[in-house]
Formats: sequence, C-alpha cells, structure tokens
Amino acid sequence: MQVSKRSILLLVLVGGMLASCRKTVEEQVIYHNVIYEVDNVILYQNAADKTRQKTSTQYISILYADLFNTSISNGELTDIAELTLGIGDKTMANELIIDHYLNDPQVVMPSDATMRTDIPAFVEATYVKFYQRLPTEYERHYLEEMIADDTQMTVSNIYVAFMLANEYYFY
Amino acid sequence: MDRRDFIKRAGLTAAGTLVAPYVLPSGRLFARSGARLADHVVFVLFAGGIRNQESVKQQYLVGQGMGTTGNIMPNMLTGNQPSNNLLYTQWAPTLTNSLASQGTLFKEMRYTQGPTGHYNGHTVAMTGNYTETGLNLNINPKFPTVFEYYRKHNSPSQTASKAWWLSEGLGPYPSLNYSRHSSYGAIYGANYLAPQTVFGNLGVQYFADAAAFQPDDVTRLDNVKSFLDANFDLEASDLPGIINTRSDKEEIKDFITGILNGSDPVDWPLPAGEPLSSLSGDLINIAAAWKTLDRFKPELTVINTFNLDICHSNFTGYVDFLHKADYGVGWLWDKIQSDPVLGNNTIMICMPEHGRNLSPNSLVDQNGLLAFDHTSDNNSREVFALIAGPTGVVNQGLEVGTAQNPVGESIDIVPTIAHILGFHDDIPPSLLPGRILTEAFV
Repeated sequence: MQVSKRSILLLVLVGGMLASCRKTVEEQVIYHNVIYEVDNVILYQNAADKTRQKTSTQYISILYADLFNTSISNGELTDIAELTLGIGDKTMANELIIDHYLNDPQVVMPSDATMRTDIPAFVEATYVKFYQRLPTEYERHYLEEMIADDTQMTVSNIYVAFMLANEYYFY
Repeated sequence: MDRRDFIKRAGLTAAGTLVAPYVLPSGRLFARSGARLADHVVFVLFAGGIRNQESVKQQYLVGQGMGTTGNIMPNMLTGNQPSNNLLYTQWAPTLTNSLASQGTLFKEMRYTQGPTGHYNGHTVAMTGNYTETGLNLNINPKFPTVFEYYRKHNSPSQTASKAWWLSEGLGPYPSLNYSRHSSYGAIYGANYLAPQTVFGNLGVQYFADAAAFQPDDVTRLDNVKSFLDANFDLEASDLPGIINTRSDKEEIKDFITGILNGSDPVDWPLPAGEPLSSLSGDLINIAAAWKTLDRFKPELTVINTFNLDICHSNFTGYVDFLHKADYGVGWLWDKIQSDPVLGNNTIMICMPEHGRNLSPNSLVDQNGLLAFDHTSDNNSREVFALIAGPTGVVNQGLEVGTAQNPVGESIDIVPTIAHILGFHDDIPPSLLPGRILTEAFV
C-alpha cells in the first residue's frame, strides 16, 4: 500500500478528534489502490458499524463521489434533488440517475477485461470503494465465484447492485 | 426476449395472478367487496382556486362590474361562450357535448372548514377530511389518501402502477401520494409524477440517456443485490416514497425514458394549428396524464391544474388559463373515450380545491381588471363538482344544488370514488366523515 506520511498524520489527528467526542466505529486501516483509483480511505471494521441511514442528499453526493472521484457541484445536487422530488418512487429515481452516470464517459470504472484479469482484486476494491470495508472471506469467495461463473456479468452490473443494496444507504 | 417483452410478460403474469380469480364468465371484473360502477376513475382537481362566478355561474366579467356574461368552459359546462369583451383566444370546444351533459353537475358544493389554502384544499379533496394545517406543509397528510384506501381495500389488490397522482407543480404536492397514518402509509401509496419537472429540462439532462435494465441484467442485479442484502442486517426502509415492484419499476422507467428520448411521442392538448407555445403547465400535466392512462390503464388517477392561481394578480391570465384547462379536460375525456379499455368504463370527477374571495384585492392587471385572493371568506368556500361517466351508470345532464340549498362538500369526493370502485364499505367509517354523492348515479 502506498501511503504518504502526511496522510497518516492527518488521519491520526482526525481519528483522535473523533474518538474524543463520540464512539469510534472506524478502524484505522488505510486503503489505497492505484488500479481502481481508490484514494486513501479509513475502513470500517465491519458492516455492523454502519447504523445510520444516509439522507437522499448524502446518498447522491456519496454516489457521485464514488463514481467520479470528485465532489458533486451544488448546482447538480440541487437539480437532482428537484428531479427526485418529482418522482414518487425514490429508489427508481436513483436507478435512473445511476444509469445516467454510468453512461458518462468521465465515470471512473474499470473495464470488464480488467475485472476478469484479477477478480479478487476487483472484488476487494469494489467493497472498499462503495462500502469502505474489506469483504469477509465468505463475501470475497461468493462474489468472486459469482463473477467467474457468469461471463456476461459486467462491472456495471456489480456497481449498480452495490449502489442499490441496503448497505450503501447506511454509514 | 427484449426489454418490452420482458416487462409485458412480467406484468401480465403478475396481473393474471391477481385478477384471474375474479373474472366472471361474463368477462366483467367485479371487486369482491362490492360491485363497481366503473373500473377507472380520473379525478381532476381543477385547482388553483376557481370562483363559481366565472365557472358554473358563467358570469365572466360581472365580477369586474361589467355586464358581459358567458361560458368560458365550453367543454365542461353547457352554455354559450361570451361574444364580446374577449380577454382570451377562444378555442373551439373539443367535445361535441359538454361533460355536464354527460354527467351530473353539483353546482353549489361547499368547503366548510379550515383555511382555503391550496395545500389544504388538495389535502381535503384527496383524504376526505378537513384540515387546519397551515404550517409544515411538506409532510404527508395525517389521514389516509384515496390512493391508500384503494390499494388497501380494493379487491383484488393492485400494485402502485394502477394508482397515479400527477401534479402540475412541486411544492408540497409530492407529499400527497400517501399519508403518515399508521394503518396505511407508503406501502399503499400511489406513483407520483411531476411531469413539468420529470419531462422538462432536468429530466432531459439526467434521465434521457438512462434506460430500464435489460431483462438479463435484472436477474444479475437481483442476484448480487440479494447476496449483498443478506450480509447486511439493516434495511433501507426509511426511504421516503413508495417502492414499486421490479416489473412495474422497469415499465415506469421505460415509460419515462421513452418520452424523454422521443421514442414515445406525446400528443398535446391543443387545437389543430395552435403552436406549442400555447401550452400551459396545466396542459402539459394533462398530456402526461393521458400518456400515463394510455400506458398503465390505472384504475385511480388524480391530476391537478394550478395555473389559475395567477388570479392573485392577473384576472386576464386567470380567464385564459381557465379556458385552456377546460379544453385540456375535454381533450382528456375524448382520449379516454377513444381507448378500448378506458372508454365507457371511466368516471371522471372534476372539482376545484376551493374558490376565491367575493371582493377583489387591490391589484389591477394590464386590462384594468381586479384580482382575487382566497382568504377563507364564504365565497372562497363555494365550489362545484362535475361527475361524468357512462350512460346507465351516471345520471346524464342532471344539475344538483342551488345557492340557497347547497348539496355536497369537498370531503365527499373520496367516499364517492370508493363507492365507484366498490370498496367503500371496507373503509373504517370513522375515517371518512363525508358521504357518497349518490345523486350522481343511476
């Protein structure tokens, strides 16, 4: 893992501040992956640490950051909030937005060929990218097998499923 | 199998499962809980605040101190249009016979309690209960909406694709597709759509290139998502809004993107030769209502108009929008009658959410005409209702109620819809203080 000393110092400081005022739920694990363009992130120890549901604004903001490795603009966030307000089924609205973003050439997404070159690395990076945690051995094994067994399974399929699954709605 | 086939087959399978036990040898469908008068109801909240003076009383400019009278709603009401002092471009009626002649007109109904605000009026009309709510509008109503009664008590039960609420604007109105009542709520809610937003610039920008998932992808997504969900203890159950079934969701996505990318052309409620620039927000909403009716054949659809609220500052604009909204309602009725499923099997109800004041405010428009607010005076509590439907089911050409003897209240529409669709008797009586407008039915 490639981690700068500055990043570690910053994370330790931030971690210390958080620990002083609330229960710490993150583990001090720093993950970095060049291939999948995953920046340094603090990982959850496990999924059970996530107990609070994201607001719809948080959901879209985080989704955008995960897909483009940059923050969504306030204007775009306002647009999407208004658009989502205009549809009764918010999960369906999210699906349309996700599909729109996945069609964007700027989206940061590995090719299907890259995924199949090293499925274990893809599975690990995907868990870290969307869930900020490492997969359990069971999850790792099951998902790797699922991808390997279905040659038509695409990166897009996996990304959409991760973003629509319950865990992605929590932090 | 292509996407549309998949959606169609999935939908037919689901529908068949739900409907089959109730199809009688005659081929007619009956609800278990009570006989239906029709299988489809379209409730037009002819909203924005309309005075009975300019609508059912056909007084046109009398309220402005001028003598010109006439009917500016020739599709909905019977009567001659004004012939002079025209403030608007007269569109030839799209209906040969007015809706009033094809149904029963409650000329003098009342909105008896609570402030005559737009959200209040909408809430009263859609829940069948008066409300005093004046603050905190962006929350779901306290009492169940007509959609929840329909989806909970109608038998056989139907998915949300059979219940739609389409509003002309956003504001607090997205909250009206389900209530916060503990025995009902989002699980029985309707699909909501704000066509001007979803099919406007924002929709084009963010949704036009999206698509329903391919059939094979749906299976893959579901498999992976199910696996992921099985490894996480919590459910995203607190998401605001209804959640459609997977097959409904794909069909609705296909519907939205089809309109946005132009593969599903839209008919506009405009007279021949009239440019698109003549469209009002109300007409756009009505056009979207027809697309929805045409595609999903919903059993319960509620739409509203709202442009007429311009009357706060511009009486001329109010008259113009009133005339256009009337055209839109006539156009919609015409479309419904030409549909093999909906035709002669739909009852349409039109009612303003409330009226407007008797006395004008101090604003004057470009023609020197006075504007009107709606601040809960007696005049703003005067509304009308028009119930049109098949001969033999709905009384044709009947007028009920007078100024001296008003008949009906705003809270009566919900029980009347429940009666038409055959589930009224299944609703706990304590929830609905209003009555069925039986005068309308044969």
